[in-house]
Amino acid sequence: MRDLWEKIRKRFRRDKLAMIAVVIITGYILAGLLALVGILSPDYKVSIGDAYSPPSWAHPFGLDVLGRSVWSRLVQGTRVALIVGFSSTFIAIPLGTTLGLISGYFRGAVDAFVVWLYSTLDAIPTILLLLALALVLPTGKGLATVCIALGVTSWVSTCRLIRGEVIRQKELDYVRAARSLGATDLRILFVHLLPNVVHLILVQASLVFVYSIKSEVILSYLGVGVQNFPSWGIMIDDARLELVGRGVWWQFTAATAALFLLVLAFNLFNDALKDVLDAKQR
Amino acid sequence: MGPLIFTPPVRLASIHSPTANARPSLLRWKNLLFPLPFPLKRGKGLGVRGVLLALVATLFFACTPHQHQKNVYRGALGANLKTFDPAQASDSYSNQCQFQVYECLFEYKYLTRPYDVEPCLASAMPEISDSGKVYTIHLRSDVEFQDDACFPNGKGRRVTADDFVYSIKRMTDVRTQTFGWWIFDGKVKGLDAFRKESENLPPFPDSIHPALYDREVEGLRTLNDSTVQMTLTKPYPYFKYILAMPYAAIIPHEAVEHYGEEFLNHAVGTGPFVLKEWRRGLRLVFERNPKYHHGFYPTQGEPGDSAAGLLADAGKPVPFIDRAEIYIYQETQPMWLNFLRGNLDRGGIPKDNYSQAITSEHVLRPELAQKGIQLNRLQQLDISYICFNTDNPLLGGNKKLRQAMQLGYDVETVIDRFYNGRGIRAQSLVPPGLFGYDSTFRNPYAHYDVEAARKLLADAGYLNGAGLPELSYLTLANTDARQRGEHFAQNMAALGIHIKVESCTWPEYLERLRRKKFELVGASWQADYPDPENFLQLLYGPNAPPGENNASYHNPEYDALYQRMSVMPDSPERMVIIQRMKTILSEDCPWILMSHRTTELLTYDRVRNVKPHPVLEAPLKYYRVD
Repeated sequence: MRDLWEKIRKRFRRDKLAMIAVVIITGYILAGLLALVGILSPDYKVSIGDAYSPPSWAHPFGLDVLGRSVWSRLVQGTRVALIVGFSSTFIAIPLGTTLGLISGYFRGAVDAFVVWLYSTLDAIPTILLLLALALVLPTGKGLATVCIALGVTSWVSTCRLIRGEVIRQKELDYVRAARSLGATDLRILFVHLLPNVVHLILVQASLVFVYSIKSEVILSYLGVGVQNFPSWGIMIDDARLELVGRGVWWQFTAATAALFLLVLAFNLFNDALKDVLDAKQR
Repeated sequence: MGPLIFTPPVRLASIHSPTANARPSLLRWKNLLFPLPFPLKRGKGLGVRGVLLALVATLFFACTPHQHQKNVYRGALGANLKTFDPAQASDSYSNQCQFQVYECLFEYKYLTRPYDVEPCLASAMPEISDSGKVYTIHLRSDVEFQDDACFPNGKGRRVTADDFVYSIKRMTDVRTQTFGWWIFDGKVKGLDAFRKESENLPPFPDSIHPALYDREVEGLRTLNDSTVQMTLTKPYPYFKYILAMPYAAIIPHEAVEHYGEEFLNHAVGTGPFVLKEWRRGLRLVFERNPKYHHGFYPTQGEPGDSAAGLLADAGKPVPFIDRAEIYIYQETQPMWLNFLRGNLDRGGIPKDNYSQAITSEHVLRPELAQKGIQLNRLQQLDISYICFNTDNPLLGGNKKLRQAMQLGYDVETVIDRFYNGRGIRAQSLVPPGLFGYDSTFRNPYAHYDVEAARKLLADAGYLNGAGLPELSYLTLANTDARQRGEHFAQNMAALGIHIKVESCTWPEYLERLRRKKFELVGASWQADYPDPENFLQLLYGPNAPPGENNASYHNPEYDALYQRMSVMPDSPERMVIIQRMKTILSEDCPWILMSHRTTELLTYDRVRNVKPHPVLEAPLKYYRVD
């Protein structure tokens, strides 16, 4: 493990683009944290000027339909995006990893069931599934539902990947050795196999993170995502009509740029991470 | 039309359309393209280039059909049409489409005001007994249903009094599951008993025409082939309007029996048009009904109608157009852009495009006027409001809290920002244009006054909102409704009241109203018929959910006054009662009154005879295209 971190650090120090990506992501996380504790942009609900005021020195990002600061809503949207990104990743990755490990290791009926489960889940168009889940979950519409819905639907690719890797690795010498030494299945799975697939998990985690953020924006745009709170998706929904009709471009630009920058940074980060960790490219 | 929540004041659902010269540029292209690739004189065939050009031309015109047809309207509908079954005509989109095909005994006068009805399938206005309860109605004997496969040999037969009785009985049958039963509920002798008995019938389609239908209902009888006699339980003065509602349209029993469950997808009526094509989600095509001979353009109008050219066609047989194509637009932008390009003949103005169409002086922009676009304004018979659930102990038990919330809500900004100023602040629930409206009536709580609101809130026991739980505000899941909800929440937050905006789908919304599962809800009501009773019944105690009294409001004095005024013809005495009822409501404040809205319609001047009417939203049969 320590070896892995060392490799990542070395690689990132050499790759300027990846470093920029890391800085951007850190910036977002910082903004989200400050918004969460109430230091940054606590005024996102109140009118601070005329409706649709264009960007000016006082309000560099302009004001929206109710005279609220687009900047404040953007920052609060970052907070929502990060909450969704982190929590759904924390649901999806352990779920996908565990299921992938046991199905790849035990095969047989367990494997058949897991494969059936993720094939079925995968066959349903994602957005429709998310919409349905958002409507039926007992938490009602809102942030918690979005996190849960994204968490329980985005573990499939992780599971599939880990399962394949485990099927390959469980016949390798180190696993056989452990087994002949009398290690239990549990020990082999979590002490021997898991560290050897952790590079896949890291890459997957950053992919799921980006995917969740994008999905949250789409769900909120469609009106089944976050409620009573700013979100980039809601901002884009607000901007949809006022952009063409009134020429109010600032809200739309701000929300899409924020999303674009975060997704771009994550993709760059992800690429660099893959370069270090992917055995095939080494 | 029932509850229409916060529909933006844009009437997308208006029907109209471009005509032959709608796309002059395309016609020019057509003339250029076709002569070139066909060297017919030499008889050599088309050649590769010719074939290609012809192919391109075919594809090109296949995408924009019917450019060349004369006398075609092209209009827009703002939502998917659900059904053509008159018993299900609960929304204005269905109403507009059904109006082209189906007819009632009476219909609204197109030009004269105040709003009134005239005979349509009836030959004269009803003969009403002295008690006001017995209506004798003679039907025209020269009207036939359109030709349709459901009739023997496909030939439509004559309309008789039995058809009317059948249509009403079918609507009354619980198995039809109509939304419109309330129009007859408790009003016609014996009809309620008929409805009760229909509960025991085997389900459709086993007995589409059960023996029960052949039994006579006391209040709904045929005297002969072309005479109907209806006996009411009370002398409802507005009953003639009920007989002009789409729910009371005359349908042939053959169509219901022939199509069974598919009846909702077919339209077999007597109206000026027949439904030629219905591609769901795309378009509807109506064509002139060759058997329609009984409609004529009105000869009377308001002062000024003649000067406006609205009486040029007086007395001529309608319809004037041969074909109407109605395109369905779920989004406002494509509808608006198509209207500007001339592909649609009539359109509403989407909220966010308002400044592109109307100047700050509230007149049409000159560049649109130059295109031949005209602006028509119509004061809607409607009210938009926020309804308190008075069954909720907190909201129902504290009148001052409700009054404070009404005073603290900046409705003027809502009208200005969300309706572009197209509306007036409501002082009571009766809209202008109806008997009972009084422009001098003032509701002491229907204006924006934060200080007074704070004071009342303190009197109510919640100084600066302290001690109040978070309240939920229910609305529809669309951008406009959500933004209005956020605005309301913002206003309330200024008083210290916390509001949570809950968005839901239309079916969920209706269900929650029916089950009283809400605290506050944004709603609006559009008149079903031009009588104030239609608005005052919204707060009549016995109409509590699942009825239309969503507030579950109950006040014995109000209820007693309602019972008196509902069976009274318009008179000074009725006015006094209505004023008293409005005063009671002002004080009790079961609603936050918002606005009576104005609709603005744009029409290209190639369409003649356009006069907006709140009920006849798409009177295509009166339109003429030059």
